[in-house]
Amino acid sequence: MHGLAMSMIDEDLAQAILDVASRSTPLLAEVRLEDRIARSTAVRAGQVNSVSSSSDAGMNVRIVLPSGIGFASSNVVSKAEGSRLVKAALSQAKKGKRKYPIALSSESAVRTGWEVRQHKPLAGVSVDEKLEYLRSIDSAVVKTGVKVQGRYYELKDWEILGYFVNSEGARIRSFVPRITMGAYNLVSAKGETEQSLMEWGASGGWEKKDDWNLLEVLPDEVVMLKNQIEKGKRVGPGKYDLVCGPEVVGIAAHESCGHPMEADRILGREMSQAGRSFVSPDMVGQKVGSEYATVIDDPTVPGTYGYYAYDQEGVKARPRYLYKKGLINEFLHNRETASRFGIQSNGSSRCETYLREPIVRMANTFVAPGDFQEDELIGSIKQGVLMRSFTEWNIDDKRYNQKYVSREAYFIKDGELAGPARKCTLEITTPGFWGAIDAVSRKVELSSGECGKGDPMQGMAVTNGGPMIRLREVSLR
Amino acid sequence: MTRLSEFAERVMEASRKAGATDAIAEVIESHTQQVRFSNSQIDAMNSWTENHLALFVAVGKRVVSSDVRILDSAEAFARDLVETAKRTPPSKSYGGIASGKFKYRTSRPDRKLVQLKGPSKFALDAISAAERAGANNVGGTFFVRHERVGLASSGGALGSDERASVDLSVRAFAQPEASGHAVCCTPRLSGMDARMTGERAGELAVRAKNPLHGGQGRADLIVEPLCLGSFVQSTSDMMSALRVEISTSMFDKKIGKKVASDEVTLVDDPTKASTTARLFDHEGVPSRRNVMIKDGTLKTYFHNTSTAKRFKTKTTANAGPLTPTAFTFAAQPIPFHPIVVSGDWTVDEMIADTSHGLLLNNTWYTRYQNYATGEFSSIPRDAILAVEHGEVVGSVKNVRVSDNMLNFWKSIDALSKDSEEIYWWDEAAPPSDLPTVRARAMNITRSS
Repeated sequence: MHGLAMSMIDEDLAQAILDVASRSTPLLAEVRLEDRIARSTAVRAGQVNSVSSSSDAGMNVRIVLPSGIGFASSNVVSKAEGSRLVKAALSQAKKGKRKYPIALSSESAVRTGWEVRQHKPLAGVSVDEKLEYLRSIDSAVVKTGVKVQGRYYELKDWEILGYFVNSEGARIRSFVPRITMGAYNLVSAKGETEQSLMEWGASGGWEKKDDWNLLEVLPDEVVMLKNQIEKGKRVGPGKYDLVCGPEVVGIAAHESCGHPMEADRILGREMSQAGRSFVSPDMVGQKVGSEYATVIDDPTVPGTYGYYAYDQEGVKARPRYLYKKGLINEFLHNRETASRFGIQSNGSSRCETYLREPIVRMANTFVAPGDFQEDELIGSIKQGVLMRSFTEWNIDDKRYNQKYVSREAYFIKDGELAGPARKCTLEITTPGFWGAIDAVSRKVELSSGECGKGDPMQGMAVTNGGPMIRLREVSLR
Repeated sequence: MTRLSEFAERVMEASRKAGATDAIAEVIESHTQQVRFSNSQIDAMNSWTENHLALFVAVGKRVVSSDVRILDSAEAFARDLVETAKRTPPSKSYGGIASGKFKYRTSRPDRKLVQLKGPSKFALDAISAAERAGANNVGGTFFVRHERVGLASSGGALGSDERASVDLSVRAFAQPEASGHAVCCTPRLSGMDARMTGERAGELAVRAKNPLHGGQGRADLIVEPLCLGSFVQSTSDMMSALRVEISTSMFDKKIGKKVASDEVTLVDDPTKASTTARLFDHEGVPSRRNVMIKDGTLKTYFHNTSTAKRFKTKTTANAGPLTPTAFTFAAQPIPFHPIVVSGDWTVDEMIADTSHGLLLNNTWYTRYQNYATGEFSSIPRDAILAVEHGEVVGSVKNVRVSDNMLNFWKSIDALSKDSEEIYWWDEAAPPSDLPTVRARAMNITRSS
């Protein structure tokens, strides 16, 4: 299958459809055209499980009137279909019957293009090469001698070519290639099992997989799980100092900072699906954590899975300091929510594909680095736990009560690691978590994931992470 | 034969002429309308038109699949895909596709529903009804779905199907932490009762007012259909043979063994009139009712032809989409319409018979520590009503069900007579027909 890197979208078609949409004199009309190619290769227990691909192209029209928003999309690409979408979106926007008229933040109409470059283009990687890579991982896992069932390894990659225009004059071309890897391992020992479902992701080409070092990481993972089964002991319920590794820090940053700071959620737009937020519009400046709790959402980190330069409303992406030194600082906004707060959008509008409406989303959410060495965090703990990674997790729909169960954890005694702690459970409130931090290490590491939000559900490429952090006196079991 | 099945047959034949030994072509045209509402007003109206061709080809054991938007050059695409298959390393575990002389029933979608104009009325009716019941803030969605399918396979399948449905989801708040959730899902427009759905959500929200912090420890759970839907989703998904093969299932080596209490019978029935009724699976095998759990004993996994061969059994007609989706692996057999068979209790009788428990309206974030063992937790949301000594005594908040999913099914001792079709977001999906059940002595935890 050919790649999209050198392809061209019919920009004249987008303009022609926009011209039709603009005749209705809306607050805003947007047209987006998109081409996308996706490829998937999976190996199960060392054997080819599946090889598949998809190729799609389509467009959407979004019309914003004071009375409502209409969005219509189709994967039929033609001027006639575009005119039909305009008619449908306009009709839908007129039927909105909003009690309070919609307004949008004022933004610059940008004319630009941006792309993520690939050193080794994904389109040029053969199925054979991918299968060989997956089988080499499987062989490395098998060679550990650990009994591993499942062993399902899947590579996916996408190329997304987009062209966005709006009635204010914005014209933005974009090209994003992304690659992900999923690994499912179930380790058995002594009649028990431990499971590991892991994901890696990046924006870029085939070369990105080398950053993940999976030929070492996955064998280490299954050996670690075996060690957890054979030597792990349960944590007795009680108060402990807890050091969280970047993976655990990342999920907490995503779930109990990123999500509750989404302005559409705060304003209630997600109330029937992804839920509401413990944060209310008037809480900017209020305390939610210690002075060490600074959480940033930054779409502009190069090469990350959540990278983008301009959001789906044509607003330039920038870092957002969500919690800053323990205070609620800045919500994630699109143009509609920003207008409600009397500010400008911070470029958080994203959609999974051209088929779905853009909504407020995270990108790369992480705790800001501090100035401790990692061994300093552990060295000062008399009795505690290091939770490196997690398995089961969840959080309530106001983003206040969360639970993380360890996949890899160790006891800490007198400043030293003292053997595996199995299925250590932290069940804690959001201020409880962020308020207990008293030290943060220097090195930030990111993990990739698919964030779910919207209706229909839109899976969104994101990363989460941070340095290691230390929480004092939290309840574990 | 319909336009779509003719098209599918042409593509399948082109694949075969190019050298495919097995081929399945599935053509799907869908149109969906959505009314989104929040804060008691419509916030957006969306519509999507999607036309796709999914093609699966095998050359011996060399197997590939692809999904493309419908193109004029579909036959050329088929030839290219067969050439790709020839260059693809063999999948040793591939077991072929279904073959035979297949006969299908006839689909009869509700034309009134297909031609529905003005879907916003249903959203506005639901909002008004919830507010009349005591809610002060209402959100949700109203969907109109219409899909046409044509399928042809080299195994002899040639069919067409047409499905249409409406579904309404209403979440109503009476206080910031007092909410109720109700849904209505139906393949007939006459079955859509927006007012009753809104009223039910509003009433639950009022009952959930002034919640207290819930306690930890053991409690009987009276689980309403919407909440049960989340548990059925992950449970039925783990009955997929592929999930068993990749060790993400608690049902491995449990065929013929007790996986639930004697009271529990779970079937999958896409032949029943419902929002997900279908004439055939993605291989073209006629849909059928499968008993998955009978009186607490696991009877089978969900199979397509290939997984069935590996498990030395026959397909259950549950072949999933030909290419991976956000929620399914490639070549994964899937449930289409799970049904937990009703019992003979009323919900009032369950409450009266419970000395210490919680009545759960809904839940979300059902997550597992280890799919192979079933340890999970889930966070109830919306009305969580405390039951003490046979009576509802108030509502609680901030609790979590932290237990084992096999233990949940084994702890069920009562099922209601009434059941309803439910579907909500992707938490309670696919749509299923469920009663209210009671599970004894489940573990409840909370943040400290």
